[in-house]
Amino acid sequence: MNSLTNSSPDAQNTIRPGNYYGNGIPYLPIDGYPGKIIAIEGTDGVGRSTQIRLLREWLEIQGYGVIETGWTRSELMQPTIELAKASNTLNKLTFVLLYATDFADRLEKEIIPALKAGFIVLSDRYIFTAMARAGVRGVDRTWMRNLYGFAIAPHLVFYLKIDEKTLIRRVLQSRGMDFWESGMDMKLGDDIYESFRAYQRSLLREYTSMADEFGFRVLDARRKVEVIQDELRRQIGAFLAESDAATSTA
Amino acid sequence: MTFSLLHATDFADRLLYNIVPPLKAGMIVLADRYAYTAFARDAARGVDRRWVRELYSFAVKPDIAVYFRVPIEVSTDRLMARRVKLKFYEAGLDMGWSNNAIESFRIFQGKVLDEYDRLVEEFGLSVVNAVGSITEQQRTFRKLISQHLEIEDTDEQLDEQLA
Repeated sequence: MNSLTNSSPDAQNTIRPGNYYGNGIPYLPIDGYPGKIIAIEGTDGVGRSTQIRLLREWLEIQGYGVIETGWTRSELMQPTIELAKASNTLNKLTFVLLYATDFADRLEKEIIPALKAGFIVLSDRYIFTAMARAGVRGVDRTWMRNLYGFAIAPHLVFYLKIDEKTLIRRVLQSRGMDFWESGMDMKLGDDIYESFRAYQRSLLREYTSMADEFGFRVLDARRKVEVIQDELRRQIGAFLAESDAATSTA
Repeated sequence: MTFSLLHATDFADRLLYNIVPPLKAGMIVLADRYAYTAFARDAARGVDRRWVRELYSFAVKPDIAVYFRVPIEVSTDRLMARRVKLKFYEAGLDMGWSNNAIESFRIFQGKVLDEYDRLVEEFGLSVVNAVGSITEQQRTFRKLISQHLEIEDTDEQLDEQLA
């Protein structure tokens, strides 16, 4: 069977933070919006939400307006996604598209308005989570990158990197393994532990393969919360000082 | 964007459950609207044309795609005659071009028709003039399909069916 259109992948454009990756949303031009997007990426159990909570406090004390946004938290899509996950009828394509719809909703209703108003958007996971999950499920990479061509390149992407062994212990200590996080839909085996291990291992490989392409700043997530937070603050502080200086001289 | 992506999700679901299995079994799938509807409608809403086409690149290319073309006045008249209440999105009321549903429908569907004209060329859609009577349209339609499937088609058959 032939596909309907022949996708012609563009030569990889250089990524410009604060701009669309691809052609974007033609009816929403975002040039020159003062806000910033800071994305924190990483698998389960790396402490993203703790770090984001601490960052938010720190930024607000300095007088920055901050909003948080997170994966599958859109008002439009959250109930649908929960329902679909429970119904066991999702396939890899509809899974990917539901996530993309959730992201599009948050982009139009939360992220873009916040950027326009000069807020800092702290994003708990970004499109890279979707790309990693689709990647391990064998969805075409070029198609995925085109799909998210409407996304805005964050100003900073931090990748909290962890090894498989530490990850498993942390997840077991906190809330245990769930069906989707264990990739049980991929039918790697009946044993949830083995499935979780294999799934998370391929996820980690996907994230690593994106690090250069999307300019991740990689942080070792095995260190103490305070140590990681200090590192985040140092890098974000330097970035904000630089962009504040650029706008005040402009 | 969300409108476009939700429809793509629905399409992907139907493609994998309702379209691909019968094709594998060698059956004929009659699709009432296909990805072309999305191409026309999403572009009319200002979504990037190339992006939508690439979004739907997972779709199976139809063996034959037929476009029933009517001028905007005819489609509005038909809807009015049936006293159909125009649906919010069908009338493009989300675009805020007009508060009047009929006026908004005219503007929006006008843009959609322009997009279809592009598609006819780009994807080689077969066009049926849908201004004529149902019998006439069905005749043209059957001719197109029978040529494609290389099956016999006689006008008597249709006359019998309609009798």
